[in-house]
Amino acid sequence: MNESQHLSSQFDEDLGRLRTHVLQMGGMVETQISSAVDAYATGEIGSVKSIVDADHKVNELEKAIDDDCAHIIAKRQPAASDLRLVLGISKIVTDLERAGDEAKKIAKGVRRIYENGHVPSQFGIGVRHLAEAALIMVRQALDAFARLDTEQARSVIRADSEVDTEFKSIIRQLITHMMEDPRTITTSIDIITIARAIERIGDHAKNISEQVIYVVEGRDIRHTGKEGIK
Amino acid sequence: MSEQLIRALLLALLTALIALPVGYFVAQWAGWSVFCAGLALQMVFHFRNFARLERWSKAPVVDGNLEGEGSWDGIFGRLYRHEKDLREQIAKRDKEIAMLIEAGQALTDGVVLLDQNNHILFCNTTAETQLALVIRTDRGQPIVNLVRQPEFVHYLQEADFSRPLTLRSDRSEDRVLSIYMIPYAGDRRLMQIKDVTQTDRLDRMRRDFVANVSHELRTPLTVLAGFLETLQEIELDRDERQRYLGMMSEQSTRMEMIVQDLLTLSSIESAPPPQNDIVDMANLIDKLRRDAEGLSHGRHTIIAETDGRGDLSGAEPELVSAFGNLVANAVRYTPPGGTVRISWHANAQGAEFAVQDSGIGIDPKHIPRLTERFYRVDRGRSRDAGGTGLGLAIVKHSLSRHQAQLEIKSTPGVGSRFAAHFPANRIVGL
Repeated sequence: MNESQHLSSQFDEDLGRLRTHVLQMGGMVETQISSAVDAYATGEIGSVKSIVDADHKVNELEKAIDDDCAHIIAKRQPAASDLRLVLGISKIVTDLERAGDEAKKIAKGVRRIYENGHVPSQFGIGVRHLAEAALIMVRQALDAFARLDTEQARSVIRADSEVDTEFKSIIRQLITHMMEDPRTITTSIDIITIARAIERIGDHAKNISEQVIYVVEGRDIRHTGKEGIK
Repeated sequence: MSEQLIRALLLALLTALIALPVGYFVAQWAGWSVFCAGLALQMVFHFRNFARLERWSKAPVVDGNLEGEGSWDGIFGRLYRHEKDLREQIAKRDKEIAMLIEAGQALTDGVVLLDQNNHILFCNTTAETQLALVIRTDRGQPIVNLVRQPEFVHYLQEADFSRPLTLRSDRSEDRVLSIYMIPYAGDRRLMQIKDVTQTDRLDRMRRDFVANVSHELRTPLTVLAGFLETLQEIELDRDERQRYLGMMSEQSTRMEMIVQDLLTLSSIESAPPPQNDIVDMANLIDKLRRDAEGLSHGRHTIIAETDGRGDLSGAEPELVSAFGNLVANAVRYTPPGGTVRISWHANAQGAEFAVQDSGIGIDPKHIPRLTERFYRVDRGRSRDAGGTGLGLAIVKHSLSRHQAQLEIKSTPGVGSRFAAHFPANRIVGL
């Protein structure tokens, strides 16, 4: 990719910097997600504010990166793999930004639960497990982008269906729980919101991985089901 | 002028000397022909050697097939020796470099070398595991592409390396890394990564301990003070007064228990090694079972399992209180209807005392911290259950004074198993 020699090494530098910016943004989103998960597990809601605040920085970075992409396309008119890299990046940042938004939703949900004096202990482990799986997916998707490693990208895509299955089973449990004891409905709805946000984070990680495959191989495997990742 | 060059010139001169009389005595053209033929012969000779040299220079090998003829011999020889020396030197350097890299790999600290743009040049295996790098593929990557935590990125950007960065690793749970940046060779940087998980944990334990002691003592104290104020200011009838005094004495008992446990803990810590009583285990297990039944009031099934073999040598009061504590915990944290199984098994390799319950269980993330002082999995519940938060800390200390290991296994919702493993030299009467 950017290892290939261009006539203008300035161009290489621009592309390299663009990638580093994307990964910097990714690092922020990873931290947002992991702090949100920690807050859920420990009930220490002091970090909620910093998670919400970090969202502004993520948004700023998204805009700056999109701007850079437009600049590179206009100024350098990249072709082939370079063009795919720039196009892929502009999609990856959208997914990252949305994953950050989901982290914010989790943090706010956690604050609601604990401020009302509830403890989501019964579903604590299931949801935390789900969250850790989604966080690992995001981390691996970003690693795959940094290393342009399609093997890793494919394993992230495969992991998404596990997260989906686990999400559905949590929802089923919560529904039974609510039917047994209607007093738990408020908390259960908050937990559903959180689990839903986590599941969405997994989807965003999957989208990022699909873009990595597009950047490296030039194959668009979105909406192709299991065949696509072979 | 070198000998070889002179020889080549002399040969040319000799040809001229032969050609000259031929030209003079026979005919001019004959002279020229002889001269040309002589030179042509020399040319063929030189070309052959030239071709050989060219062939060799394309793929220089040093297994001794480079031999020149005549005046070329010396040149070939020197080239050959030069090539051979060079190769030996390179091999030596390679070996030195390999040894340096091996030394770098042997370091227990993580080491990453960065160039002026913070791209990875080298890292050792420790750093690979600490930061989840793969040097085979990651050489040349900007380090911030892979270590993406905002604190780290900020630290690199600020470039103020007078103080190390403490980073909670996001790759491996609960690892705390201390990162030092050391400039070398101009604007390159050496990143040294120490694993300070243990120190960090001790620091936190110490801080927590002081905070916890104050908190644990202040809670009953606040209650006491509140009641005292009420008693002073409000005229109460006899019954209410009795009730308040009862609650006050409950709180003061609680404080006394905490102080007693703290004293026990510090006396165990500073005491000399335990004296060697012989603890009759069959008797002790039976006593523990009866105690457990007393504590349970028939709400649990208590099972004692022992083949009666082997006794322990050690400080009896300490061991009795440690085992009693484990059994009491099991009864306390098992809902009515559950089972508590007390077992003792000894053989020549060692012995195990274990308490297994079918209780509420413990989340795995709490298990490493369970024996810390005042560590509570669920703050509300354990205080209601009457614990001081020091029980397991005392158990662990008492056991480790007898060289025993406390092993905790637990599945939330299924039950827990606390086992003390004693070494063979503590077992008598097998």
